[in-house]
Amino acid sequence: MNVTTNDPRLVRQVLTGEVWPPLADRHVYRTGPDGQAFALPGMGGMTLGVHCGDPATGYASDHLEPGASVRHRDPGANMALQFLTCVGNAVRVASGPAAGAVGHVIGQHAYVLVDFAGPVAEQVTTGDAVTVTAVGQGLALPDHPAIVVKNCAPGLLAGMPGGTRPDGRLEVHVAARIPAEAAGAGAGMVSEYANTDLMGAYAGLGEDLSLGLEGLRVGDIVAVADADHRFGRGYRPGFLTIGVISTGQCMLFGHGPGPSSLMSGPADAFALVDDPDANLASWLHGDAEPGL
Amino acid sequence: MSAGNDGGMRAVAVNMLGVVEHPSLGDTPYRVDADGRPYLPVGDGGLVLGVRLGDPVSAVAGDHAAPGACLVHPEPAARHALVSYGCIGNPAEVRTGRAAGARGTVLGKRGEDGRLITAFRQEDLARLRPGDQVTVRASGQGWRHPGVPPGVVVMNAGPGLLGALPVSWPGHGPLTVGVRMILPSRLAGNGIGRPAAAWDLDLQLAAGDSDAGDGVPHGADVLLLGDLAAVSDLDARHNMGYRRDWLTVGVVVHGSSPLPGHGPGLTPILTGPGSALAAAADINGHIGLTESALGLQ
Repeated sequence: MNVTTNDPRLVRQVLTGEVWPPLADRHVYRTGPDGQAFALPGMGGMTLGVHCGDPATGYASDHLEPGASVRHRDPGANMALQFLTCVGNAVRVASGPAAGAVGHVIGQHAYVLVDFAGPVAEQVTTGDAVTVTAVGQGLALPDHPAIVVKNCAPGLLAGMPGGTRPDGRLEVHVAARIPAEAAGAGAGMVSEYANTDLMGAYAGLGEDLSLGLEGLRVGDIVAVADADHRFGRGYRPGFLTIGVISTGQCMLFGHGPGPSSLMSGPADAFALVDDPDANLASWLHGDAEPGL
Repeated sequence: MSAGNDGGMRAVAVNMLGVVEHPSLGDTPYRVDADGRPYLPVGDGGLVLGVRLGDPVSAVAGDHAAPGACLVHPEPAARHALVSYGCIGNPAEVRTGRAAGARGTVLGKRGEDGRLITAFRQEDLARLRPGDQVTVRASGQGWRHPGVPPGVVVMNAGPGLLGALPVSWPGHGPLTVGVRMILPSRLAGNGIGRPAAAWDLDLQLAAGDSDAGDGVPHGADVLLLGDLAAVSDLDARHNMGYRRDWLTVGVVVHGSSPLPGHGPGLTPILTGPGSALAAAADINGHIGLTESALGLQ
């Protein structure tokens, strides 16, 4: 992205975490939109076979978290890990047979979500330690003072197309535009933690549940209408939030594939370009250098 | 079959103990509002004096301030049960402290950790203190309310509550509920995606000169505590979520919040398809849940 940033002033910090186990309780089942009971994997652990660029929905899964789901064992350290880690940050496996392999953060979901290449992911399991080089919080765009950037590695921003236009707006390429009605669970939460579940993407369920979002892919850059995520997450007419789809299929009602917030500001500060290639897979997982 | 039965199953009431909550803050006093300004939350849970049913939701400079005493339980699982089973209109009685013997009524509930909101006379509230024990006679979940057509699900409503509210069903067609306003589902904030039997839904209504968009005017200025309000395209039977042509009606149980994604809270009581449940908005004349209807005057 052709835009001036304060990158030289950003602080890089080394954080640790571990691949967290999936969690369940003895009652097993949760409830879908029509009251259907389900017990489906997706949250926690090392989820295999789903990567950036793949469809977000269409899996027998709930709260699908592609790749590794990472937390820190100490509650305070965990919040630091969740708040300070940014999309695009490099994550190195620090224990187990995959030690030394590097992946990238694709989002947050009360876990830091890390995409590793398939052969690496096959060797990673619950409890494996990882090292995160966190950088990005504090990133600012001096030429776009109305836009708040968060959870975004400077290297990710550099890799994205678009940038400052002659008219002063920030051009951002998006794979999908999301109506305000889709914003589900996550409304009212801070925007440095977890993501905003999008309703209306229940592939295979009723037409009256659809908002036409069944085509989202993991890693898609999206624009959420009338959403102000500068200091939390709320509905606000005339504002816009840019996010990255970091989670997928949900069966739990009021939930769905979710964007982690990257930028937010008045809609007229942005110039959106519809671009089906606006996906992390286009920038993060080719020859991208570690340490974004 | 009499009211309260469902397919031959008799409804059950449970006496449960709640404790008047003390507000709780972290080691910084500030929260951050939608414009990035710090503020100190006042009235977010606990025992609040001077906020009453019938007050505008934005009348006080509070954060989620509820009209009365929030009840909790020190054991998290018991706290969730207290909130899940307690229903609007259920009787509450103070068991300990200077207000022992005072009688009040469950007014609504709040989600996440869970709070049961109870209304008492102001003179009784003034004698209560956090930590006082209150027994709640919980009944309503699973109750079959008379005069409700098939397809409409009732929740969080104690026996007899619907009779005290502007709810009417002529025996055919949809059940019609008088409400202050009908809001679009995009105003559904915190609480969306959560179970309506234990959470409220915060309405993202702008206050003052702001406009919630698309002709929804000055919501926080005209909405009163105790009002009924409807949200279109919202199904609250299980978790709350978007479903086209569905309607959810609830009681406004707490006031506004500066937090983004938060606002006055709605405890759902009725949800159903548009063919079975309808709302009639009367922005000036609506009368919802009042202190006199609850016997608190």
